[in-house]
Amino acid sequence: MLIELTKRKEPSRQMLYLTPVIAVVLTMITGGIIFTLLGYNGAGAVWEIFIKPVINPEKWQDLGVKAAPLILIGVGLSIGFRANVWNIGAEGQYVVGGLAGTGVALLTWEMEGWWILPLMCVGGFIGGAAYAAIPAFLRTKLKVNEILSSLMLTYVSVQLLYYLMRGPWKDPEGFNFPQTRLFNDSQILPTLTEDTIIHMGVPLAFLIALVAWFVMSKTVFGFQVRVVGAAPHAARYGGFDENRTIWLALLMGGGLAGLAGTFEAAGPFGQMVPQFPTGYGFTAIIVAFLGRLHPLGIIGGGLILAISYVGGEGAQTSIGLPNAATGIFQAMMLFFLLATDILINYRLKIGEASAEAAQ
Amino acid sequence: MTNEPVNRLELRGVTKAFPGVIANDTVSFAVKPGEIHALLGENGAGKSTLVKMIYGIMQPDSGEILLNDQVQYIPNPKAARGMGVGMVFQHFSLFEAMTVLENIALGLDDNISHAELERRIADVLHEYGLSLDPHRIVSTLSVGERQRIEIVRALLLNPRLLIMDEPTSVLTPQEVGQLFETLRALSKSGCSILYISHKLHEIQELCEAATILRGGKVVGECDPKKESSRSMAEMMIGASLKSVEKDGGRKFGDAKFVVTSLTLPGEGDFGVPLNDISFTVRAGEIFGIAGVAGNGQNELLLALSGEVTSDTGDAVMLDGEPIGAHGTTPRRFVGLCAVPEERNGHGAVPDFTLCDNAILTARNRKNMVNYGVINSSIAMGYTEDVIEKFSVKTTGPTSTAGSLSGGNLQKYIMGREIMQTPEVLVVSQPTWGVDAGAAAAIHQALVDLAEGGSAIVVISQDLDELLAICDHMAVINEGRLSKTHNVGEVSIDEIGLLMGGVHGDPFATAEMTEAVHAH
Repeated sequence: MLIELTKRKEPSRQMLYLTPVIAVVLTMITGGIIFTLLGYNGAGAVWEIFIKPVINPEKWQDLGVKAAPLILIGVGLSIGFRANVWNIGAEGQYVVGGLAGTGVALLTWEMEGWWILPLMCVGGFIGGAAYAAIPAFLRTKLKVNEILSSLMLTYVSVQLLYYLMRGPWKDPEGFNFPQTRLFNDSQILPTLTEDTIIHMGVPLAFLIALVAWFVMSKTVFGFQVRVVGAAPHAARYGGFDENRTIWLALLMGGGLAGLAGTFEAAGPFGQMVPQFPTGYGFTAIIVAFLGRLHPLGIIGGGLILAISYVGGEGAQTSIGLPNAATGIFQAMMLFFLLATDILINYRLKIGEASAEAAQ
Repeated sequence: MTNEPVNRLELRGVTKAFPGVIANDTVSFAVKPGEIHALLGENGAGKSTLVKMIYGIMQPDSGEILLNDQVQYIPNPKAARGMGVGMVFQHFSLFEAMTVLENIALGLDDNISHAELERRIADVLHEYGLSLDPHRIVSTLSVGERQRIEIVRALLLNPRLLIMDEPTSVLTPQEVGQLFETLRALSKSGCSILYISHKLHEIQELCEAATILRGGKVVGECDPKKESSRSMAEMMIGASLKSVEKDGGRKFGDAKFVVTSLTLPGEGDFGVPLNDISFTVRAGEIFGIAGVAGNGQNELLLALSGEVTSDTGDAVMLDGEPIGAHGTTPRRFVGLCAVPEERNGHGAVPDFTLCDNAILTARNRKNMVNYGVINSSIAMGYTEDVIEKFSVKTTGPTSTAGSLSGGNLQKYIMGREIMQTPEVLVVSQPTWGVDAGAAAAIHQALVDLAEGGSAIVVISQDLDELLAICDHMAVINEGRLSKTHNVGEVSIDEIGLLMGGVHGDPFATAEMTEAVHAH
């Protein structure tokens, strides 16, 4: 059997949308085989992780809550990725954004008012953006690779979190637990209705994705980001400054990650705790690629990864799958996506040997 | 070589298809021993596919290739070289930081000691009267000398058939003369040459036979010496060629585009610094800048288009307004448009649609943007206009720029800039790699734009092109511009010397003689 790749004249639009689906299916198949070989119930694992959260309406609220930060961060990252700016440190910007929002909350802890939550959100956005400004500065002024600087800053941010939780921001009435005060009613994101866990951050995340779609596809800013990423020389010829674009892309990415951090702190957590970093910033990289760096696709990608989170938690209790299983499935998804993306530009021919090879 | 074959190379019904296109359709022709045979055709006529099959890079779907009257299957270039086929590519594959000798050694299939290789190189150089120092570092060599490395590399294998792909596109007229002498000497020794070019007068001068391809098929064979350039061009495009109509007694207006003492450092390690460049272009005038590649043409285009800005605004003036310190966007606002040499990735984004590529440079002059939001229907309309007026062959405004052939993309880019009716248009290599039909259309469009009162600067390595459309011209060499000459009064020899670096000023002449002595 001969497998041959021939270049397509135009990139296939069909494959552009199809390969994420192929990647998810391949992940399910391979994951099932791997966990069977490891002695678990492989088919059951796939069922628990990918199918059960979808068919069980009780889990749908969980999906929304998990998907919101992934979508927000993924949308922000996609802006950078489009411009060839590889911000891998969204996790750090998410943490610092969460801390900035928490800082506003701690400053206003005895106050009440409608303005506190918006102020926390603005603080979170600025905090994340400021943290992303460090790699932006290093890249544009000193040509330091942003992949390394943003990634390493993530670990710095976690240390900052631990320091604040154990020192200055520790709840004075908290029995020496390393965590902040509980946020008050003006600082907690309200839920949509009384008997749901869906907080205001969830619809906002979807709304921001829609706005990002408009900005990226219809405005000069989105055009600029796409040109700088696709052809830097052409961008300069078209009058777009590369450094300015790098700054804007990193600030937007950091800002949205920071906003997601504040939503999480003011939503599900309701305070700041050392367990705050849950890897959303890294998982959002998978979300961004699974969604084809397109804001609407990222909504879909965020939901799929949320399914794997919710399903992974369920599988731990129901069939005793290890916690790492979720990570393995998520990593495989990215792996298969990157691998199958070759089909966008190449045609796969499987069949008998072609005429020229037979001669 | 006592029993010379009837034909050195013969193709019988060679056919090669790619998905969606037949690149070669039952192509048959023959090349006699020692013959210099031209392969002529527009871009996309199937010339490259054909020679790739002869050189073993691809294999035909059907048909036969005969070398020395024997049917051969040529699985790869190494086998082709073993059968006596050599090829000199249009783009060289040389390592700049290594010596000539090391570069040649790297390209050989067999392992030969350096001393032995040097002796054989000396033999080849002597036999064909070529001058080349095997111990020079490649980065210090001129383009003509670099090409000689590739030729020597091919000759070391004693080829009986040498394929040359557009060999003169980077040479000065004097270097072309030297190359032709080498090729003639080769042909006398019995080596056949398959010569691919679109420069018809060169083919007339050099070749004894020509095969003309159009749309993958052989459409004619001729003796170039008995044909006119025009008749060959018409066979190539399959239609009568419109010659550029230019009003001889045109009046020029006031000075429109004035460059004064433009001096800029070179970008990066291989950039050429611009040194005290001055020239004036009046309204209605086409100003040509000739020169061998790599003498500062790219840097000059960037400095004129605004991609690289100068500290002094006065260095570049448009209608008396200093714009030297402005970037491309403000320059476009005052009416300066530019077309860079490289189409893919500079003049256009290959992955973007034609419509998006229109937004890239025409968004402001054509009012495609309101409050930062792109009006895509205006952009679509403009793209359709460009496609129609410049007869760009494409499936529509939403096909990607990368899917267009080189000539079509160039027509699109030129059209995109010209239809913005710029006050000043700066273009680099407007017809590089473009077929004769498209080139004529582009030249006519430039002449028409000038007649409308715009000032045009054409930077080109193609002297014929400059002589055909320009009113005045100057030569750029090592980042310096010669004084302006009147086209029509200047001789090709004079321009050739300027391209080689003889400026007529004592300093440069001394440098030049030194360089000559150093050989």
